[in-house]
Amino acid sequence: MEAAWIAELRAVVGERGIVDDATRLFAYEADGIVLLRQRPDLVLLPRTTDEVSRALAILHRERIPIVARGAGTGLSGGATPVAGGVVLSLARMRDVLELDPVDRIARVQAGLVNIDLSLAAAKHGLFYAPDPSSQQACTLGGNVAENSGGPHCFRHGATTQHVLGLVLVLEDGTVLDLSEPRVDPLGLDLVGLFVGSEGMFGVATELTLKLTKKPATVETLLAIFESLDAACDAVSDLIRARHEPSAIEILDRLTIEAVEASVYAAGYPKTAEAVLLVDVEGSEVEVENSVRAIEPLIRARGAIEVRVAKSDYERKQLWAGRKGAFGAMGRIAPDLYVADVCVPRTKLREVVAHTTRIAREKNLKLATVFHAGDGNLHPNIAYDRRDADEVRRVLEAGDEIMHLCIAAGGSLTGEHGVGLEKLPAMEWLFTREDLATMCRVREAWDPDRRMNPGKLIPMRACLETKQALARPEHLT
Amino acid sequence: MNLADPKSLVEYAATLDCIHCGLCLRTCPTFQLTGNEASSPRGRIYLMRGVAEGEVAGDDPVYHEELEFCLVCRHCESVCPAGVRFGEMMEIARDRSAHTAKRPLLETLARRIGFDVVLPNRALMRLAMSLLGFAQRSGVLARVAPLFGARKDALLALPAVPPTSEREPLGLRSPARVLERGEVTVLEGCVMPELFGRVNRATVETLGAIGFTTRACGTHACCGALHAHNGELEGARSLAKTTIAAFDGVADQGGEPLPIIVNSAGCGAHMKEYGRLLADDPAWRERASAFSARVHDFSEFVAAHAPPDWKPSVDASDGARAFGRVAYDDPCHLCHGQQIRKQPRELLARVAGLECVELANAEQCCGSAGIYSMLRPADSNAVFEPKLAALDESRADTLVTANPGCQMQWQSGIERAGRNVRVVHLAELLAEASRAK
Repeated sequence: MEAAWIAELRAVVGERGIVDDATRLFAYEADGIVLLRQRPDLVLLPRTTDEVSRALAILHRERIPIVARGAGTGLSGGATPVAGGVVLSLARMRDVLELDPVDRIARVQAGLVNIDLSLAAAKHGLFYAPDPSSQQACTLGGNVAENSGGPHCFRHGATTQHVLGLVLVLEDGTVLDLSEPRVDPLGLDLVGLFVGSEGMFGVATELTLKLTKKPATVETLLAIFESLDAACDAVSDLIRARHEPSAIEILDRLTIEAVEASVYAAGYPKTAEAVLLVDVEGSEVEVENSVRAIEPLIRARGAIEVRVAKSDYERKQLWAGRKGAFGAMGRIAPDLYVADVCVPRTKLREVVAHTTRIAREKNLKLATVFHAGDGNLHPNIAYDRRDADEVRRVLEAGDEIMHLCIAAGGSLTGEHGVGLEKLPAMEWLFTREDLATMCRVREAWDPDRRMNPGKLIPMRACLETKQALARPEHLT
Repeated sequence: MNLADPKSLVEYAATLDCIHCGLCLRTCPTFQLTGNEASSPRGRIYLMRGVAEGEVAGDDPVYHEELEFCLVCRHCESVCPAGVRFGEMMEIARDRSAHTAKRPLLETLARRIGFDVVLPNRALMRLAMSLLGFAQRSGVLARVAPLFGARKDALLALPAVPPTSEREPLGLRSPARVLERGEVTVLEGCVMPELFGRVNRATVETLGAIGFTTRACGTHACCGALHAHNGELEGARSLAKTTIAAFDGVADQGGEPLPIIVNSAGCGAHMKEYGRLLADDPAWRERASAFSARVHDFSEFVAAHAPPDWKPSVDASDGARAFGRVAYDDPCHLCHGQQIRKQPRELLARVAGLECVELANAEQCCGSAGIYSMLRPADSNAVFEPKLAALDESRADTLVTANPGCQMQWQSGIERAGRNVRVVHLAELLAEASRAK
């Protein structure tokens, strides 16, 4: 017989809002990183904040772990229910609740797909600026949880700079409306704190987001290089000369090959060792001047060709190719490990070369794409998860790359989040005190640590904090 | 195929092409409907791989249900960066599941009669349609439809079977109406001559207007697309051979077989893949590939071969009233299956006096999906809803499609919703526009 709590949840979300058979649950055992898998015990698909609230209240009473999930496109295992329990999918909450072209804000349900907001805003000459490569599929709620970036965040800033307000449901079902006032936050900036909390503070159900005016003119430059080093140097030169393109991306040879074989073939030359993709936006005069200034700089670093997209269509193709890069790697091998490290831009060249060496030593196929402007690298390692030895080498390489970036003064993640995958690495970067502070913030939101357990903050750090707090002498 | 080996139940190697990026989710009509990841392309591939690797039982009823829930619109293929051939994987998985699934006896019987007896035989199809027509006119259908339970509405929504005079097969040779530039042959199809004879005639008329003589292929009936899409690969292979043999027999004076013009997107997409379907049959492989290379969608052929001086027009005041604002809706197996998007639009743009508007979700499935609208009417209607909303938004007076299944779906959906929008096949519009002077 069905457990009473499941029957209660069924009454809240309805028959179509619950997934409880083992076969369908199987499809929820992984997100974008299939190496880390765990089947949930139940999936809920609520439609409103009220349903989320009632469901969370029941789960609070039953002390059941909860993992919120958008489209499951994340690359750090953030939506993998490692501790089992309930996956709360926002996939049916995708309404645009309000779109105000004068205040330039949109209020949306958290399961709305990123690109759908830009499509809805397009008729007012507006768009939603953060553009993760998975924007065709990923949800805005997931973007908030991971503080997602994207190529054009170089100019426009990452998700956190575009979130004005949130409606949250806390672990016990309490609804916290942080959507007013829409101007500067008063008091503690809870919204700012929530963005990037990877599902550990609660579930965002409604988002108030900033919309951006579409630039009058955009030009896309494609520069072709015979070496990856030269492409990296060109980026440093651009920044040194104080140029501010809206996006600066680099793709290496293996990535180019994969993209060109796909439906997103963009016309990147297959013989190039690297291509540099630069977007310049602004008024017509600004853009023209920038392009005129940037081109010789890039050529000076040895670009064998610099092309300017001739039409809007061609420009879209160039970007679609970049954004399809992760999926296109499916042609190289069944699985892909996407590292997401950040380094100071000046270290780009050195770190990129080093990652190539690591992959060669471990006999792994490495393809690199990166948001060069932000110093955010994605060394992608193609592998087959059925090959245990290859998996071991991939994970070792991932660890070495992270160590390398920490040593270079960088960070573990640029935009994909820590999730499950980079959890151990948190202890390499942060001190015990850092982690203990994070734990205390987390427990202020979720004392039982039931929201997305096993992610972001190493459990050991949390337990140590607890023990330490239990000892009175430590409190003095 | 060894049913004891789970790897043979699906196209295992193809499941490994999916890297689980999820870019397909938003395109999938069944995921849109449910938000359930098992009902998405990525989820279905994950289940298939689960079957192959022994984590999901090959005869699991939920797995079967997810396979059948899919419309095989192949929209996911258009966005898949890894190039996963989802349609092909579904054909194979459904075919294998037909061997392991336990269907109710009545359903099995209906499938055998439909797939093995009626579809491939023109005379029997004609008889079946005459019976249906009689049932419609006499009111018998309205009385027996409730016996079909959930499929009642789908039965009642079938278009009225036209009078016998409109169900005559095409003439064996329909000469070009202007200076002849070549000869072609057309696929008349299984249901087409009975329910959409006018579309076949319009196809021939348009081809005639651009200088092509059309030669029909006699008694040939079915290309086997419905079989392939519905887990009947053996039947599909056998019909592919029949089709190749029949069309190879229609040759020009030099003995060269003629180009084959298809006005049904699902059939065209399938016939273009005969080479793959018969790849394991050494006796047919090459012949099948050569055949596939001769298959052209109607719009593809007309756009490529219409002479510059062909100026279709609806400029006459009565013509303009007849079509008004026109919106083109991409049939899935034309845009996703054959990458044909530009040609139908180019042809419409060529018609003087036509006002063309775009539908917001033209590449989304309308829910027709071959016989899906008969098999799962409730899901089919739900998939149709956002299409109707987009049509309303476009304020179009005429909806143009290029596939008979979509035409039926639009027609019944528009009638159900009480909209005053005319639905035509592209060939019908072009034929009328080449006539108007």
